[in-house]
Amino acid sequence: MANHPTTPGAREHTFDAIVIGSGISGGWAAKELCEAGLRTLVLERGRDVKHRDDYPTALKNPWDFPHRNKTPRAVATANPIAKKCYAFDEATAHFFVKDDEHPYVQDRPFDWIRGYQVGGKSLIWARQTQRWSRFDFEGPARDGFGEWPITYDELAPWYSHVERFAGISGNYDGLETLPDGEFLPAWEMNDVEKHAQGKIMAAFPGRHVIQGRCAHLTAPQPQHLAQNRGQCQARNLCYRGCPFGAYFSSNSSTLPAAATTGRLTLRPHSVVESILHDPVTGRARGVRVIDAITKQAAEFFARVIFANASCLNTNLLLLNSTSARFPAGLGNDHGLLGRYVAFHNYRGSLSASIEGFEDSYYSGRRPTQLMMPNFRNVRKQETDFQRGYMVFFGAARAGWQLGNSTPGVGAAYKDQITSPGPWGISMMMQGETVPRKENHVRLSPDRKDAWGIPQLVTSIGYHDNDEKLMRDFLERGREMLEAVGAKKITARDSKQNPGLDIHEMGGVRMGRDPNTSLLNRWNQLHACTNVFATDGACMTSTGTQNPSLTFMALTARAAQHAVAELKKGNL
Amino acid sequence: MNRREALRQTALAAGAAALWASLPARTWAALAAPADWSGADEAMLTLIGDTIIPATATSPGAGSVAVGRFIITQATDGYPLQSIDTLRRALREIDAASRQRFSQPFPALGVAEREQVLTAYEAAPQSGAHPFRLIKELTLLGYFTSELGATQALRYDPIPGAYHGSVKLAPSDRSWAL
Repeated sequence: MANHPTTPGAREHTFDAIVIGSGISGGWAAKELCEAGLRTLVLERGRDVKHRDDYPTALKNPWDFPHRNKTPRAVATANPIAKKCYAFDEATAHFFVKDDEHPYVQDRPFDWIRGYQVGGKSLIWARQTQRWSRFDFEGPARDGFGEWPITYDELAPWYSHVERFAGISGNYDGLETLPDGEFLPAWEMNDVEKHAQGKIMAAFPGRHVIQGRCAHLTAPQPQHLAQNRGQCQARNLCYRGCPFGAYFSSNSSTLPAAATTGRLTLRPHSVVESILHDPVTGRARGVRVIDAITKQAAEFFARVIFANASCLNTNLLLLNSTSARFPAGLGNDHGLLGRYVAFHNYRGSLSASIEGFEDSYYSGRRPTQLMMPNFRNVRKQETDFQRGYMVFFGAARAGWQLGNSTPGVGAAYKDQITSPGPWGISMMMQGETVPRKENHVRLSPDRKDAWGIPQLVTSIGYHDNDEKLMRDFLERGREMLEAVGAKKITARDSKQNPGLDIHEMGGVRMGRDPNTSLLNRWNQLHACTNVFATDGACMTSTGTQNPSLTFMALTARAAQHAVAELKKGNL
Repeated sequence: MNRREALRQTALAAGAAALWASLPARTWAALAAPADWSGADEAMLTLIGDTIIPATATSPGAGSVAVGRFIITQATDGYPLQSIDTLRRALREIDAASRQRFSQPFPALGVAEREQVLTAYEAAPQSGAHPFRLIKELTLLGYFTSELGATQALRYDPIPGAYHGSVKLAPSDRSWAL
């Protein structure tokens, strides 16, 4: 902090810590750093979104939407990428980046789904939360494509730490492939799902059917009520923002907790252009910010900087943070920054019908699905592809939409299509992809965005391994649906672009060896130790789990380390 | 905190009282009148919709939610551009079938005749996508997402409070609207 005493206004622009981004990991960084006593500046490139006040559609009925919540053509045409996201509609479009305002260059097709606002994508995430297992951390080294510098046992207490505060529902299933956490009560299965669970587990030992685990308060505990968050009302309109605060978001949970300390400064409309490197100390001294509206530049200073800009934006930011010491981007002495980007393979799905169960129904709308933890190549290599996949599935009765394919008109037709229709069952995959050097992002040499920052070029694609893994899922899925007694089984390859999974990870990967990785075991840049990256960018591999819970745990762990190192005088 | 109290607190917190007071009318008649469409064409679409989903003992029909205006608005704003031509073609073909079969324009027919015309039209082979499929899809969408359709022909529970996985279904129980 002694390196800018003469800068005008430096005192007002100087903090103990700066957090870049206010999404799911940035919110955790802010909370942990503030609670540890650090005056923390959170820089968010988008507008402010206040919990409850700024959820304009949260309580709207279907008939309150002029296009009954379908995306009008003009909006769809203007947003060819965002419109592909399942959560993008008339009720949620205001939480998604508009494609024409934030261009990027697709070397190979990549659907980049973004949420630029306070809370980031934590407002519109799918809220499924599972711990990684030791097999996920050990897998890359076993299979020879990478090495995690931490173990499951090291992260486990941090999983517990974030689970207790966020509130995670689930059953204690006792599975080594999907370790139990600190759980609130699980959601129920319906009758057909229980039937499927019994049939599959009887026919296929080792394939476990369990209820999904999600960040919803099924039974709020004192620590949740203290956050002014209440019980999940089973509305399943979560992507609009939850007025009950029943699902975890930065807006409802971590940012208010950080603000309560009195040490948080939240600055929306602040596009961070670069992290400033100090050649004298060898550390970062602050950041350069472009005001999103006025486009004026300003600098802010701190002893510790957390990059939580979202996976690809953290890559972009570090690549754009050039200096005499780091001409190719901060911490990038080996050209590996931006490389080994991976994602989740969502291409395969199956659907089928189930006969019977005509007098059984359900009430309420459950915000999770059944899951099957990965059962492929867990303990040893067993197949002709690397790694594995998690399976999500669920059963439901057809609603009025069955009328589209039902012939007829008149009173009898109306009666038929307003009665609950036949049961259907569907399965989808969440497959691990292997991080590959050629899958990378880089800066465009000539194209810039509206803030003068180079556009990101994405060069990320599928590999033959992903095709094999998907085919295996479709075959195993079919055999499981047959065991359940399902009929009219159809398998589908969506061929969706990478990115639409919204689980992009890597590019600033963690590792033991500074020659092959960017971040150390505490998420510090090997070559600039007061810069931490704890969002998806840090991931050495992808696992088969939904990743946000792991980002949260890594962030809390790194924040505690940062505070300890500051106290020791090491940062 | 029980559900009622939770609701009350949320309503206060979110300014929901104001939101609920500002709801549009209960039907799609609140939508702006479509340009380039005659009142007669809109009325005929509404009549077709009301024949597909008529009023019954427990709930009103699609005609009572001004479904014709919804069909035109939704097709214009959200569907592929050729959808407008498809709708106009369907109107012409249905009216022609009506004149051929009953020597009267479609709007002049009674309920039973209208049902006969539409049933035959739906069953008649067409090259390419059947225009009636589009009308039916938009009718169902407009009706079941209207307040009357969602709350009276179906069961609408905006805040269920909980999920119950095993609920005994009685023969008269309708599907959930959401």
